[in-house]
Amino acid sequence: MTTNTILPQKIRRSWLLVPASQKERSVTAAKSNADVVLLDLVEFVSDRDKPSAREGIAETVRELREGGAEVFVQVDSELLYADLHACVCPELTGIVIAHLESIAQIQEADTLLSQLEDERGILSGALEIVASLETAQANQDAFQIATASPRISGLTLGRAELVMDLRPEPSGEIHLMQYLMQRLITVAGAVGVQPYGAWCREPDRGLLATPENTSNAAIRGRAVGFKGSFCVLENQVEPLNSGFTPGAQEVDEASQLLKQYQAAVTEGAASIRIADRIFDAGASLQAQATIDRASKIAVHDQAKADAQAGRPVPAP
Amino acid sequence: MAEEIGVHRSGLTMPVVTPRFVDNAWRRGCDFINLDLEDSVPQHMKGYARTLIKDAIANVTKGGAEAFTRINHDLVQADLEGIVWPGLSKVNYPKAEYPEEIEKLDRIISRLERERGIRPGTVEIGANIETSVGVANAYDIASASPRVKEFGGAGGYDMSRDLGVEMFVGFDQFVYGKGEVELAARALGLEPHTAPFTANTTGSVGDPDRAFREAEAARKCGFRVGGGLHPNVVEPQTRGFTPTQEEVAEAHQTLDQYRKLEVSGETWADIDGKIIDRYEAARARRLLEWSAACARRDQAKAEAVARVEAVGE
Repeated sequence: MTTNTILPQKIRRSWLLVPASQKERSVTAAKSNADVVLLDLVEFVSDRDKPSAREGIAETVRELREGGAEVFVQVDSELLYADLHACVCPELTGIVIAHLESIAQIQEADTLLSQLEDERGILSGALEIVASLETAQANQDAFQIATASPRISGLTLGRAELVMDLRPEPSGEIHLMQYLMQRLITVAGAVGVQPYGAWCREPDRGLLATPENTSNAAIRGRAVGFKGSFCVLENQVEPLNSGFTPGAQEVDEASQLLKQYQAAVTEGAASIRIADRIFDAGASLQAQATIDRASKIAVHDQAKADAQAGRPVPAP
Repeated sequence: MAEEIGVHRSGLTMPVVTPRFVDNAWRRGCDFINLDLEDSVPQHMKGYARTLIKDAIANVTKGGAEAFTRINHDLVQADLEGIVWPGLSKVNYPKAEYPEEIEKLDRIISRLERERGIRPGTVEIGANIETSVGVANAYDIASASPRVKEFGGAGGYDMSRDLGVEMFVGFDQFVYGKGEVELAARALGLEPHTAPFTANTTGSVGDPDRAFREAEAARKCGFRVGGGLHPNVVEPQTRGFTPTQEEVAEAHQTLDQYRKLEVSGETWADIDGKIIDRYEAARARRLLEWSAACARRDQAKAEAVARVEAVGE
């Protein structure tokens, strides 16, 4: 078993899916301010268009990377050889494997990525895998899948609600999704990778939602532990970025509480009472995490802005 | 030919020792009758109850319903000897907790099928999850025998008692257990037999409106299996689990639109606010198959009832 503990928790709040068959979309995607552009070879590319979509995809990856976003390619779990040979290049951050069915597919992808890294002058082990657990079997095997390769840096349910045909209950919640979300987030936490997704409700459908509903889904998603989510339309990018960022008021409150707590600790107290809240060691770690996350996001956003403006990006 | 889709939209569980229930069962219009040897049969009548099953199977199926029997968790051997007769479609096994239990059921049923001239593999096993141990072993239980075709549970009185949770509350107290069971069913390609949450704070078993709302909500989430305790809920469940004419028409339209989409090379389209893509096409195809299976079932039941009535005259 491999547990991923060294991977830095990168800021990946918004993943904009762009069909690799539509080159013109990648130009606008570069300006969308998405943290990640996800060039898609699966969901929005018909079988007929796949060969032409693969041609030149590495070039598109390079162009997008210059714009400041990280670039992933969404590949088909059954077409790994062709998809990976087409897209692997030094500017690629990793792949999302859609419709994942088995641990063997993760192992196949890992082996192919290792070979391509060797052939194409990429640091060994650099390319990441995000596993998209969209089928019941993949969710059943989530833990084994998440530990099948040290490259795995994230888990998502992808379009599980469509693949598994899960529809709204009378409450507006999508059937089974609360269970599947919490299961995925727990597995991701146990393995040390990032869970990606949002808490959608009727009438949101398959990564499509109005900007307002996207924002609500992102806020709920962050509240249950997701770190970022996927979208199809450019007007969903900002709602995802802001929904997955701690609000200014939240950060301010965390700082205030932490200051009071630290003062009390130096006086010998283990916890303090503020209004009707008990603030103790656990609560202080939580507040610190919120502050850290917000400052990492600020640094990330500045670097992205610099890259978009063509300013030199300092080495990490 | 593909295997016929099981149609179990409505059914009544009844004590096999109560003649007025059993004698009227064929008139109820159910897809199945679940003859109970378990909780509705008093302890001193367990042995007698078993002897009634063979005749009761013939009695309750004459209107076209399938016959199931619910056995006792702790009386497997004796119960199975008494109930596995031609005409029985399924053995419901309550409080399933370990895969070995299902394997044992499978062995005994396989022998009885051979001894009694029943086509091998006819009798299904309903492995019902009603305890925490059962939830923890859900996947292994569901995969313990190919006779398990529908799989569910993780709710109801026994589960409530086992977990120490209240039964009639206004929220879903079984999210985790039901999720485990449903995920196992789906991963194994079985028909999930749980349900989306609809609050029932009164504990009503005979409210037809409620039964319809529940069945309709379940159908819209993709569920197909019903069943209850009161004759009032049979028709609402059958109706609630059957696709409406509007849904059938819409499914045909979706498939037409999807065929056009395929020709265009696009992967999705927004047509009057409705998304058309391969997922909607797959859903539409399933709905049409299910609708046709329901119609065949209704036809078979109507013919069976007509035959009984013709003989009676």
